[in-house]
Amino acid sequence: MASVSLPAGETPSNTFTWFVREAIRRIWVSKRTSFLAISMIAISLFILGACLLVAENLERAVERWQGKSRATVYFDSEATPDQIRAVDAYLAQHPDLRSRRLITREQALARFKSMFTSLNDIVDQLDDNPFPPSFEIDVAPRAIQSKAFADEIGGLRKLPGVDDVQFDWQWLARLRRLIDLVDLAGLIAGGILAIAAAFTIANVIRLTMLTYREEIEIMRLVGATERIIRGPFILEGILQGTIGGAVAVGLLFAAFTLTRRAVATPQSLVWSFLVSGFLTWQKIVALIAGGTLAGWIGSWLSVRERVTEEA
Amino acid sequence: MIHFYHVTKRFDRYSTALHDVTFHIEKGEFVFLTGASGAGKSTLLKLILRQIRPTDGQVVVNGRNLNAMKRSQIPMFRRELGFVFQDFKLIERMTVFENLAFILTVLNVPAREHKKRAYQALRAVDLHHKLSAYPLQLSGGEQQRVAVARALINDPLVLIADEPTGNLDPDLTREIMQIFVNANLHGSTVLLATHDRDLIRDSGRRTITLDAGRVIEEKMPTVERATRSEALFGIG
Repeated sequence: MASVSLPAGETPSNTFTWFVREAIRRIWVSKRTSFLAISMIAISLFILGACLLVAENLERAVERWQGKSRATVYFDSEATPDQIRAVDAYLAQHPDLRSRRLITREQALARFKSMFTSLNDIVDQLDDNPFPPSFEIDVAPRAIQSKAFADEIGGLRKLPGVDDVQFDWQWLARLRRLIDLVDLAGLIAGGILAIAAAFTIANVIRLTMLTYREEIEIMRLVGATERIIRGPFILEGILQGTIGGAVAVGLLFAAFTLTRRAVATPQSLVWSFLVSGFLTWQKIVALIAGGTLAGWIGSWLSVRERVTEEA
Repeated sequence: MIHFYHVTKRFDRYSTALHDVTFHIEKGEFVFLTGASGAGKSTLLKLILRQIRPTDGQVVVNGRNLNAMKRSQIPMFRRELGFVFQDFKLIERMTVFENLAFILTVLNVPAREHKKRAYQALRAVDLHHKLSAYPLQLSGGEQQRVAVARALINDPLVLIADEPTGNLDPDLTREIMQIFVNANLHGSTVLLATHDRDLIRDSGRRTITLDAGRVIEEKMPTVERATRSEALFGIG
């Protein structure tokens, strides 16, 4: 018989090929438990991904509106043309106001109807137009941070016929806080579920190791290193996690596409807040990599508990 | 090749599996290890395989002191050994070829050599026509021959067998013994644990007898090494 040359410690490519083949075969043989592990990863990453998607769309909306630093002066429904002209004259003199537009009650109603088409039937049933006239004012960016300016423009509230003055940048700041909250909620919920998924994978791998304990014993007796013994199990966890991540992205894209079809109106608020665009490729890669990482941690947790042999 | 120096193995306070065992097996010897059930044969084999460590004393195999061996060195050490068990320990889901190729993969042998090496090993036990069969499609004797082929595929310095003929009839026992003797003639040191007294008596080989964890008898060979086995097992 020919003698075997043993390159101590080396792992040739055929060993890696064997790892891959074995890992895929073991996933296939333990279909049910593998499905459970993959589902856990997919669900947790889907939740995390959904939060990221909402936050990203909100972020895009904020970016779109950020360049238009705007204040709005709302009049009473009963405001007279003289009162409106007086406010117009005041605004025309102010150095920090770049332009202004008067939005009549009819224009406000038409705008609402185009943004919320599904509510048109209800609006048409109203006896009276509920929208007040308003001035939309573009503010010079240098004035946005100024409290004196805010106080000054806010003082318009005291003029006759003026009901309220709102600043868009305050609203944007609130939206930013909401984005942070959605991000945090996604991270917490997704993180907790990802940890649970990693433990599920750990238990699945532990079960697989029990099933293969006789093979492991034989491998040890013929001189297999721990790396060769553990390799297919680690790879099994990594594959489960990666598949789970890919499934999560697929489900997310399907949900995104369906929601987009249902909303159908690019001008609507729902569209711009939720479905104006899908996740960036970096976030897609990060989600799948998160699944891979959870799978790796799960399998590592189970194989690091050395089976049987005395030290 | 295998040296035991005052080896004691206790599993707990009340159970001593081996007590002050000392013996030496030289390179190229063919030695039987015998004794009743519970005499300590399996414990002794586990010590040689470095599955367990002695409580007292030293075990030296092929110049390596197993007490001082690091865990990371065990795999390389075991690649110098081959073993055969009474229950064959073949992987049922794999074909005969895959059972052997699996070992070659573990031993880092390139995949392109697997077929050739497996064929050679199976030819030595006259089972080269069963490459594609599954273990459960083979008879007990054939399964044991596959297990022996697997043990010999790496040309082991030491071949260890634990009751390899325990489940086999006399004809199959003779077949398996022929293979062991052949391996011994090719240079492997053989240590074979059995309680088949007829087999030991007819072989005329050196025999170490254990009883209650102690060596109670050491019988030296009564005949020349190769010639006697050729006559007994019909190898020429």
